[in-house]
Amino acid sequence: MDKDNQIKIINGKLSEFSLLLLSSDHDPLYQLEQSDLVKICKILKKDQELDYSILIDICAVDYLTYGHADWKTNDATKTGYSRAVEHKIIADVDEEFPDRFAIFYQLLSISKNTRLTLKTFTTKANPPSVPSVNKIWNSANWFEREAFDLMGVHFKGHPDLRRILTDYGFIGHPFRKDFPTNGNLEVIYDENKEQVVYKPVSISTRPTVPRVIRKND
Amino acid sequence: MGLENKNDDLINQQGPGFLTTSVDKLVNWARTGSMWPVTLGLACCGIEMMHSAASRYDTDRFGVFYRPSPRQSDVMIVAGTLCNKMAPALRKIYDQMAEPKWVISMGSCANGGGYYHHSYSVVRGCDQIIPVDIYVPGCPPTAEALINGIIELQKKIRSEESISNG
Repeated sequence: MDKDNQIKIINGKLSEFSLLLLSSDHDPLYQLEQSDLVKICKILKKDQELDYSILIDICAVDYLTYGHADWKTNDATKTGYSRAVEHKIIADVDEEFPDRFAIFYQLLSISKNTRLTLKTFTTKANPPSVPSVNKIWNSANWFEREAFDLMGVHFKGHPDLRRILTDYGFIGHPFRKDFPTNGNLEVIYDENKEQVVYKPVSISTRPTVPRVIRKND
Repeated sequence: MGLENKNDDLINQQGPGFLTTSVDKLVNWARTGSMWPVTLGLACCGIEMMHSAASRYDTDRFGVFYRPSPRQSDVMIVAGTLCNKMAPALRKIYDQMAEPKWVISMGSCANGGGYYHHSYSVVRGCDQIIPVDIYVPGCPPTAEALINGIIELQKKIRSEESISNG
């Protein structure tokens, strides 16, 4: 099935929902409302002409400071290297970045040999949430746990939403843009207690932007 | 291993008191000749560790023979990135090993965090958790480098005098 035909079929089958075709350069990328997500996914999987039987991956994206990056070479040469070291504080995250988290779903249809990407923003509440698609694709179980662990997005209706990768008792969500790269705690063996204990990190933060700026002026 | 000749010389040359040093040598010969490491491949270094144990390099020539249980092991080769979640388990495995025991830290990550030194989830060197005898540099070290580390550990064990000093 070629791409134009695929897009035509998807638009026909999902005509009752508000879809936005963001890109069709490669595989189609659709943005949709998170309230329609479960209904749309059910159709995409069950419909014989579409047959997206496999959920390849779920990704979460943090759009915090998106478009506000330090990475403007002309201005940056004036402000210098220190711009990356000084920690910027965003006064009100919810105000400035209402659409902070987006979830991406990568789908594959074996019988039609097509791929499809869905994008949806989370709710603006704290914590952000989207409905779980675990009942539609079983593979979503660990993908959603991973997205929850690293980004702090809640998946409503997930049967077992626990952390999956980080340490037991870990606090915070490390892939969020406002999480310090060094973390907050490190482990060391305590000879008196005879066990591995936590202590505050011993190293200082370092710049994580590329070092193209060679001097302050 | 040439033990018979050496001991003959010692017995012929030395008077009273020769026994303790000879036992030391015998004990060290036994210890260096059968260093059984606990299998602890944590990352890509584990692949190089497998190479060193496989037919081409064959650490079995040195009596280095990987065991699946810490109870049967003398050496721990920490091969790979030690993350925070693994640290208590690593310490427990180390504590379960019978004395005498040694540790080889293999690769940059185990030596000092390496590539992940500034990470939120990685221990900055496995010597934060357990005492280390030999550090093998590299990312990952080649199988030859690991074998060199094993030979260096054998030298270190030979220099110990556990019975005459202990």
